[in-house]
Amino acid sequence: MSRGTLVYATQRLVLITFTAIVVSSIVFIGVHQLPGNALASERRLNPATEAALLHHYNLDLPWPQQYVLWLKGLAHGDLGESLVNMGQPITPLLLRELGVSVTLGIGAVLVTVVVGMSLGVLAAIRQNTWVDYVASTAAVIGYSVPSFVWAFLLILLTVTGFYAWSQGQIYEDIGWGKIEQIPVPAFALGLPYAAIVARLTRASMLEVIRQDYVRTAWAKGLSARVVILRHALRNALIPVATILGPLITGIITGSVVIEFLFGIPGLGKEFVTSILSRDYNIVIGVFTFYAALVGLANLIVDLLYPILDPRIRYGN
Amino acid sequence: MAIVVPTIVERPEEPFVIGADELPEQVTLWQDAWRRLKRNRVSVIGLVIIGVFVLVAIVSFFWTPYPIWRQALGPTYQGPTLIHPLGLDDYGRDILSRVMGGAGIALSVGVGASVIASLIGIVLGLTAGFYRGKIDTAISLLINISYGVPDLLLALILVVLVGRGIQNIILAISITAWLGMARLVRGQTLSLREREFVEAARSIGTKNLQILARHILPNALGPIIVQATYLVPAAIIFEAFLSFLGLGVPPPAPSWGAMASEGYKALQIAPHIVLMPCIALSLTVLAFNWVGDGLRDAIDPRMRK
Repeated sequence: MSRGTLVYATQRLVLITFTAIVVSSIVFIGVHQLPGNALASERRLNPATEAALLHHYNLDLPWPQQYVLWLKGLAHGDLGESLVNMGQPITPLLLRELGVSVTLGIGAVLVTVVVGMSLGVLAAIRQNTWVDYVASTAAVIGYSVPSFVWAFLLILLTVTGFYAWSQGQIYEDIGWGKIEQIPVPAFALGLPYAAIVARLTRASMLEVIRQDYVRTAWAKGLSARVVILRHALRNALIPVATILGPLITGIITGSVVIEFLFGIPGLGKEFVTSILSRDYNIVIGVFTFYAALVGLANLIVDLLYPILDPRIRYGN
Repeated sequence: MAIVVPTIVERPEEPFVIGADELPEQVTLWQDAWRRLKRNRVSVIGLVIIGVFVLVAIVSFFWTPYPIWRQALGPTYQGPTLIHPLGLDDYGRDILSRVMGGAGIALSVGVGASVIASLIGIVLGLTAGFYRGKIDTAISLLINISYGVPDLLLALILVVLVGRGIQNIILAISITAWLGMARLVRGQTLSLREREFVEAARSIGTKNLQILARHILPNALGPIIVQATYLVPAAIIFEAFLSFLGLGVPPPAPSWGAMASEGYKALQIAPHIVLMPCIALSLTVLAFNWVGDGLRDAIDPRMRK
């Protein structure tokens, strides 16, 4: 890693931290403008207990003071305590869930890149044949079908379909914890984005394939595999890489729906359950995590560009 | 359209014989684009699907075969029959009526959010691109920071903060969806403001606002329309996500996402409850994407595959 890259990465990290703090501050302040307090419920509390509880969460202070305390905690990596499950510190909980979400996200990115690129390359080298038409149509349909619809189709296929087909021998269990439970949600999350990658790869392959250096490679008598994969695809990937950032952002936020549907104990499911149970401390915490995650994923993508395209250098 | 749009697309010179009886037919950019769109088979299919969808949506505001909320119309989980062509759901409600009602919600949210997000994006993009300098820096910073905000989560929080009415949901989606449009319009404005016709307008003393409205905006309209078309299916999917997570339009309004979410628990025994709204949703989104692709190719022939 050159010095320029290092400087660039540091600047970006500062910007990411800044963004995460700004957006979670907005959410913090917004949430604290809500009428009533987060502990209010049908369950009548003893006034003394209620006062003690409010004091425990600093909710008895005016919100600017609460905000300063929250910022201080954030600087120490402490996001406070859950409002619903008293005494549950949020940071370790979210860190554990982050691992789950990242695992699912990496699976989905793999699906996106592998399925999308294969379809795109296939369509490009068989341009205007039935392979191309099928792949191109599949791509438009692919991203028009939302991830939860893919999830239902995949569940019907793997759970109901395989079970009936194997006469009860194969049983797919929906959930999380075993390695064989990863592919179904990963495909559901990745397929819409794979379709976008397929379209872009096809378009950019078609452009590259007609260039002189590819003709030279064919003329030298190189095998189709080497020409397509090493000469053409490598350059065709550069435009594709530019949308990888927004794509990963989409996958990260899309995981909220998929985790909710499959009951995967990740950040997304935590966000939905805590927003429904009005556990605002966790909502703010997850939001901070997500903002940081989106920033970091985009930074990683940007740091990958120079590897794909040596003409790009950061700094100088 | 009242605004006269100068042709951006350079068409090859048609053979023109001096003294010929007729002048070559004058074709505006929009007529040209419409002709190309009509020739695109997939886009025409998309337009037909959208037409049916809009018709169903409008009809659903006044009439559905059964009231969308009426329960116990027959056996719960009943599959498609003659009197209930799409079957009944877990409360014995008629799914056809509910899918029709869902079209109304999807149309309102899709078009509403697309229009509002486009307006925000156009105003900010024009301002940033035209005035440049500090205003541009500020708006660009706002755009860049907003790109780092996970949109679905922000919309969920907004819906919790302001409530679940359909106007609030349209607003929450618009607030997260204007970024792409702002970026596009800013880029277009930056390049258009340096063109000769803008310089000409400025040299005869045209006011800034008039330059923006009469010269820059009409010339950026092509890409704006394409982007706004793509925003409709994006907003429809977004609303489906929100209601799937239980934070969309409140019941008994039959949002497609909520119908799918409710039917999930019975996926094994009665898949039609989930599949019917999912098919309607996917088909609508697909149709809008087809038309968007067709419009993009028709308006900007250089982008053609």
